[in-house]
Amino acid sequence: MTPLSHYLIFSSILFAVGLAGALMRRNILVVFMCLELMLTAANVSLVAFSRAQGTEGVPVYDAQVLTLFIMAIAAAEVAVGLALIVAMFRARRTVDSTSLNSLKD
Amino acid sequence: MNMSYLLSATYTWGQFVPVFCLVGLAVLLMLADAFLPRIPKQAFPLVGALGALLTACFMIKGEYANSFGLLACGATGICLLMLWDYRSVVYASVAGGESDEGSSELASLLLIACAGVCALTQARDLVLLFVSLEIVTLASYSMAGYFRRNQGSIEAGVKYLILGAVSTGALVMGIAWYFGTTGSFALHSAFVSRALCNPYLCTGFLVSLALLLAGAFFKVGAAPMHVWIPDVYQGAPTPVSAFLAVASKTAGFVVLMLLSVPLGSVAGDTPELVRPVVHGLAVVAGLTLIIGNLGAIGQQNVKRLLGYSSIGQAGFILIFFVALRPTLFSDVWFYLFVYGVATLAAFYAVAQVRMQRGSEELSAFRGMGRTNPRAAFLITVLFASLAGVPLTGGFLAKWSSFRALLYAGERWSGMTPWLLPIMIVCAAAGFYYYFKVLRAMYWEKQEEAEEPVRFSPLAVALLTVSALALLAVGTLPLLLTGASY
Repeated sequence: MTPLSHYLIFSSILFAVGLAGALMRRNILVVFMCLELMLTAANVSLVAFSRAQGTEGVPVYDAQVLTLFIMAIAAAEVAVGLALIVAMFRARRTVDSTSLNSLKD
Repeated sequence: MNMSYLLSATYTWGQFVPVFCLVGLAVLLMLADAFLPRIPKQAFPLVGALGALLTACFMIKGEYANSFGLLACGATGICLLMLWDYRSVVYASVAGGESDEGSSELASLLLIACAGVCALTQARDLVLLFVSLEIVTLASYSMAGYFRRNQGSIEAGVKYLILGAVSTGALVMGIAWYFGTTGSFALHSAFVSRALCNPYLCTGFLVSLALLLAGAFFKVGAAPMHVWIPDVYQGAPTPVSAFLAVASKTAGFVVLMLLSVPLGSVAGDTPELVRPVVHGLAVVAGLTLIIGNLGAIGQQNVKRLLGYSSIGQAGFILIFFVALRPTLFSDVWFYLFVYGVATLAAFYAVAQVRMQRGSEELSAFRGMGRTNPRAAFLITVLFASLAGVPLTGGFLAKWSSFRALLYAGERWSGMTPWLLPIMIVCAAAGFYYYFKVLRAMYWEKQEEAEEPVRFSPLAVALLTVSALALLAVGTLPLLLTGASY
């Protein structure tokens, strides 16, 4: 059986990739995908932890239920987010984050 | 494993009756919008405001008593009234001014976000905390970008979305690690102290706590996560900015309080275990104070100024969390109440000025001391309270924050020497930037061609009530200490 640490390392890498992408990429759509990566990384950790916390091969299902909640909320976030990005494209004809510069000090 | 079942949080349906009422009203309004097109659109915010204020009344005392839910519902009610008063701008920004089509969902979204805050106050475990916080956040994204023809509003929405989703990611990862290190989602001191005592789990637990706090800091607008606040407050529709400044900030502080309850009880038994967390919080509070108060100094846009001011005020509230006094809840409630009343009324005034002058810059307030002395006086009281002038509620709130710092200094060594000077400098900076508005009103003349700003009767009434409330709270401190909650 794969040890817990492997899952955690994988999920940390996924989280780091997502965070780095969200902070560095310029295309809002790519940034948005990176944000979903961060949520997926958390889901991987949660499922791995639910196995590790379980006794006699029965996982703690609380964590897996939360995973479903996270997926549902991520889907809602995508719906709202894509609507905003479409509205932004209509208003500016670009989805580049450097064009977001009308509000500043 | 048995322990986690014994201590896991349980809920009853009865706790959530106000939440269901708010969501039900929001759904009804949406259905009415779709199927009863003959209802005038301006009725929607009014009905919503009535519902939110009625829910707030039920939260004052009795079965549904909920002090932070009361703040959120009251703030939402006032934001909805503001939305009704602001309708000419809303129609112009949503449908180009020809019709009032598509302007009523904003009322439903505000109610849903408010329901999220109310559900959050009932949370005793991280699952409900996460879901209700996301309800607030998702509704806020769509509200911030609601004026989709307006460049500023769209930009505010997208910026809020991106930065908010990063903080959601951090929060979720924090929840995963909390579960991994404690074996439960319940926020209970038994789990926290067990994880902190175990040398194998301690680091992982501190990481999870840092990530959870990052999620809360985002909502509150604390230092590393404050970047969105000025932009979003400036770009979002003014009633939405007011909602974000008061109700959404309340949600952030409720999250912080839920996290600090187990920490506080662990700190009571074994202070050594939570020392790193408290010192981290102190650094964040100091940074937030500096960034908020010094950033506000150069601002010319009043909404942006209020954004920076809300960061600065959040810094003063964070001091309560550094102290972790037993009176934490009532201290935070009182500060949020005083801050919320003044901020809501200030945004209301900005909305009124924006409707007539078409601008939210400081220059739009010029000459109001002469042309509309009553409104100018009311605004003076509001900003004096935000700055913390004695005899206003803001003074007592800041005073309690300073007292909390002295308490923290006794408890955790090495805190006061660097945090106290920061607080004094920041409180003094507040006097400067809040009084810029007063200077514009009283010392600068308006241009000849400009019409004097007139406030609507509802605006005058609400501003008067707010100003009176702030003065009463400031001058009758004995009354308040007698009626402590």
